[in-house]
Amino acid sequence: MNATMDERRGGTEPITLLLCALGGEGGGVLSEWLVAAAREAGYAAQSTSVPGVAQRTGATTYYVEVFPVPVADLGGRQPVFSLYPVPGALDALVSSELLETVRQIGNGMASKARTLIITSSARVLTTNERMQMADGRVPPAPLAGIVREHSLTHHLVDMDGLTRESGTIVSAVMFGAIAASGVLSVPRDACEAVIRAGGKGAEASLRGFARAWDHVSAERERVAFVGSVLGGAAPLLTASPTDASPSDASPSTTSSFAAAPVTALTATAAARFPSAVHDMLALGCARLLEYQDAAYRDLYLTRLDRVYAAESAGVTANASGARDWATTRTTARYLALWMAYDDIVRVAELKARASRAERVRREVRVADGELLRVYDYFKPGIPEVAALLPPRWAGALVRWDRGRQSRGKPSFALPLKIGTHGVAGMLALRALAGLKGLRRHGSRYAQEQQAIERWLGALETGARLDWTLGNEIAECGRLIKGYGSTNERGKNNLLHVIAHLAGGADAGAASTASPSTAVDSTARAEAIRSARVAALADEGGIALDRSLAAHGAPPRPVPEVPIRFMRKPDPRAMAAKAAKS
Amino acid sequence: MEIQFTHEIAQLRQGAGTTFHGEGILAITKALLQAGVAYVGGYQGAPVSHLLDVMVQAKPYMDELGVHVEACSNEASAAAMLGASLHYPLRGAVTWKSVVGTNVASDALSNLSSPGVRGGALIIVGDDYGEGASVIQERTQAFALKSSLALFDPRPDLGLMVRMVEEAFRLSEASNMPAILQLRIRACHVRGSFACKDNIAPAMSTRALLDEPAPFDYAKLAHPPVIFGHEKLKASERIPAARRQIVERGLNELFPGRHADTGIIVQGGLYNALIRALQQFGLADAFGGADVPILVLNVTFPLVPEQIAEFCGPKRGVLMLEEGQPEFIEQEIATLLRRRDIQTPLHGKDFLPQAGEYSVEVIAAGLLEFVRHYLPGTATAPVEAWLAANRERRAQVAGRLDRPLPPRPPGFCIGCPERPVFSALKLAQAEVGRVHIAADIGCHSFATFEPFSSGHSILGYGMSLASRAGVGPMMQRRTLAIMGDGGFWHNGLITGVQSALFNKDDAVLLIFKNGYTSATGTQEIISTPSDQARAETADKLGSLTHTNQTIETTLKGLGVEWMRTVHTYRVEAMRKTLIEAFTAPFAGLKVIIAEGECQLERQRRIRPWLASLRERGERVVRVRYGVDEDVCNGDHACIRLSGCPTLTIKDNPDPLKVDPVATVIDGCVGCGLCGENAHAATLCPSFYRAEVVTHPKWHERLADRLRGALVRALRTA
Repeated sequence: MNATMDERRGGTEPITLLLCALGGEGGGVLSEWLVAAAREAGYAAQSTSVPGVAQRTGATTYYVEVFPVPVADLGGRQPVFSLYPVPGALDALVSSELLETVRQIGNGMASKARTLIITSSARVLTTNERMQMADGRVPPAPLAGIVREHSLTHHLVDMDGLTRESGTIVSAVMFGAIAASGVLSVPRDACEAVIRAGGKGAEASLRGFARAWDHVSAERERVAFVGSVLGGAAPLLTASPTDASPSDASPSTTSSFAAAPVTALTATAAARFPSAVHDMLALGCARLLEYQDAAYRDLYLTRLDRVYAAESAGVTANASGARDWATTRTTARYLALWMAYDDIVRVAELKARASRAERVRREVRVADGELLRVYDYFKPGIPEVAALLPPRWAGALVRWDRGRQSRGKPSFALPLKIGTHGVAGMLALRALAGLKGLRRHGSRYAQEQQAIERWLGALETGARLDWTLGNEIAECGRLIKGYGSTNERGKNNLLHVIAHLAGGADAGAASTASPSTAVDSTARAEAIRSARVAALADEGGIALDRSLAAHGAPPRPVPEVPIRFMRKPDPRAMAAKAAKS
Repeated sequence: MEIQFTHEIAQLRQGAGTTFHGEGILAITKALLQAGVAYVGGYQGAPVSHLLDVMVQAKPYMDELGVHVEACSNEASAAAMLGASLHYPLRGAVTWKSVVGTNVASDALSNLSSPGVRGGALIIVGDDYGEGASVIQERTQAFALKSSLALFDPRPDLGLMVRMVEEAFRLSEASNMPAILQLRIRACHVRGSFACKDNIAPAMSTRALLDEPAPFDYAKLAHPPVIFGHEKLKASERIPAARRQIVERGLNELFPGRHADTGIIVQGGLYNALIRALQQFGLADAFGGADVPILVLNVTFPLVPEQIAEFCGPKRGVLMLEEGQPEFIEQEIATLLRRRDIQTPLHGKDFLPQAGEYSVEVIAAGLLEFVRHYLPGTATAPVEAWLAANRERRAQVAGRLDRPLPPRPPGFCIGCPERPVFSALKLAQAEVGRVHIAADIGCHSFATFEPFSSGHSILGYGMSLASRAGVGPMMQRRTLAIMGDGGFWHNGLITGVQSALFNKDDAVLLIFKNGYTSATGTQEIISTPSDQARAETADKLGSLTHTNQTIETTLKGLGVEWMRTVHTYRVEAMRKTLIEAFTAPFAGLKVIIAEGECQLERQRRIRPWLASLRERGERVVRVRYGVDEDVCNGDHACIRLSGCPTLTIKDNPDPLKVDPVATVIDGCVGCGLCGENAHAATLCPSFYRAEVVTHPKWHERLADRLRGALVRALRTA
């Protein structure tokens, strides 16, 4: 180690490092490497950890202290190392995951006066973030901001990328980053010797170490250069991950949406709408053209026209700002998605695309000379079939299935695992995709159009009354997604919300309108916003019911489901029966 | 076992003149051999699993030394093993996780400590307390006090910890008291060094057998009337003998300081944190030199009254630093000062928190009070500023986030065979209504976390079935008890199954048969697949747990009439079986064996096998699941039924859609749950199963080429 470490606080305090890792990321190996490297370099060091059962994918920490004066110069005295990290007294906080970095900062560990933070910019999402019905992810931008604000210097490193590129585990990358950061200033070859001594997997570890070393060294050089130019020590600035808000999600080049043709937007269509709407409009038109045909696209444009007119009228009447035509833009998005509702025809069509086959090969990393077999999971039931049949036949089929269920049988559905890498499987997909023409005559088409009209009706009325109210109703389009029960649930929630919270706005449900009609439109807008957020909080609709009740709306009707009455058998009755026999 | 300890086993052989570098718990393991231990037993559990694991794997070397090693079925059996030291001058050590293990062991411990031991009897407990702990927060101290077991709590310095193992045996022999050596989590995992001594092969051992049993001696029995004498002996002879040892051998350490009229008494295990806290006040240097005198209790029971009185007597004020509650030591010191009419003010829990871990920051906050009262010349401003800055920083970060950060508790591994059962349980309850679920200790307790949030009670290891005995009769629906095979053998068989059968209880028990005690590091148990089964099974990819039928035959032997075995990955079959168990007319105990080998062990087994196949150019099929991003409905119902770390979400590639889509990331082991759930729960049709064939046979390649051309032609652009 060089003089810089000795100089720090006059060589009277240990250098302290807190390492954060997730179970299975090799945090234990990393702390072992650090202690061994320090020892080889002639320094006293200690590490400890609290793995517990966190080794099973949970978050855990490791703590390392190194005394900055060589053992040889201590005259036989032994430093007393702490087993606990001391908040605010860390020299380095090194973490393989951004949220865990911030968790430790939030615990008070890092300090602006002292701590170097080396953190992965990558997120490993927690279960809580992944399981939400909408988007439960913690936005990364504030996280990166917190790292910046609570560190002396920091490196945001894409450790995930470096790890993958070098085919190792993240601990090697963390080691390289620590070694290059200068916090311990152990010579590089000493660190590498320690890795090599580990034997198995050493080559991959060394690759990861080297990549991280290069990355952090380059950043340090750049900062040193900037600092020398500015004549002062500049804090380390690194690009922070941007807050990828959903509306800005850029189409990935690998997706089948990459070629969303903006040209699908004809000049006449463009002329009918303000430019703020054009991007969404182009996507919507393209989607409906692809989903059905030009006539269906034109229906979309006509519907959107009505919303645009309502928003314009509302803005004029209420002399409120147009807010970049957000209502029309939002409607352009959700109306397109609703009109292009997912059904078996659509699914078959998506799965039969060549681009899909390419994507699967990429995702599962098929190498040259390897064969790929792909099996798709389908479970079409009565509703899926009925959707494509004319209403009368569909009704009969659904009644038959209900009858089955009332006799205690499960709803009829066919679990299928289709090998779509094969000729038969692909033929089946193509045949299903070919049923596009049936769609417009099917029962579901009629139901969907009716529901869409109710939403649009409420939206128009609301938009004329109050911009915010109209916009909130438009945003409710987010509730509509997916297939089967998910789709049903979203649709029922949306229709219930507009029937009871939009006041007189829902013409189709005027007769059932609740007393909330009297409430002013701002309060109604707020009620709808709160109900929409609540509708995405839990599957059971507990939050939604609470929100509905809070705003004076009736609870959602209990859906008719066949009841299976289950009690454990009465022991007395059983005994009597046994006695009889 | 999860870890291969080749390097550590080599370290056990180190002799005098060499330096050991490694973990605290392995240093203790080495210390046992240096102390001439004759037998070792225990039950695995963090943070002491490694002690036993290393010993078990080091069997050849243990045989060389003549040391017997036993992986006991539970802590009670481990404690009873110490019975060997009652009559014979054998040094024996057992280990477990405390306080839970000590609870289980306490019957045998009472009966051991009453007659007292002749050979040194040592219990190494990992004190699972504070950050990283997984059990109820209670003190081991209580057991030492009630049963008169000497309790060592050494300063976390490897050299001293190793010395204390030897001293504990010595004290045990001198006082006839069994001894406990208590190690905190961080001390077990501390990585440091110590100078080795040679190992000592025990004089009586598996290689040098005892010729005759000991002569009959009624006083060695925990039986009336000698038990009354035993109790008196504890007070009149044993504890005084232990105290003499503590003083003569210098087991507690006194570090003098400039401020001689004040003092701090500290449990050995807290010493390093105390020094770091004193450093914040400028009252200690980097090497432990402190301005305040410190009495380090490396033995926290029994205390030596003279030592305490001598330390406290001439002082204006003394602080007792004692972690956990109740503050037994502080109370005892207060009593002994009062009895001797020593008026020195004693502080402890009045300055420090009653509950919780004593980290450096917590100790410093307590010291601040002490310093203010007794060391007015010491500047406290820097410490006050530091503590305030910590508070401020925490508030700042909390303020920057619109909600608290989501927790990241441990969870099921990728491909864990237990996860699918909780998917099935969630689906079954959707059909028949919620049931009361008695949960247990083991990996399956991770189902208490999201996304399953399942379980009503955890009453101890293997206790689930027993813990529903009072609930079942009160409830309209049947109850479910969940138990792992680890818990089953630990005590669930007796406390749960036997009791339910005897009482003809109407209950449902689900046993996870994954073949190992996985949560503690996949140790083997009696129902673990044999080496022979591993070697002989042709299809190494499948689960091997069915090759061992010990659980099934045991249950049948006990008289279980309703038993179903279901492979855990078959979600639909499991769902139906659960519903059947909840609704079947059969009114007795219904047992579902959920069979599926621990994925950690399976991977350990198959990875080298697959690698060797690949190397030899033989055919290998790799399975992975995936989600079609354009078909995924963005509702994440699949995640709420799984929680697998490799089933996550990403930005929606469709610019029209706002909610993220599900995605399967690298690391997926192709366990099949995603496909099973897609069918059982009628999820959206976005899941696919990909099978990648490496080194395909020639006819496969040919067929693929012919088929490929056709399929490509059929695909749309």
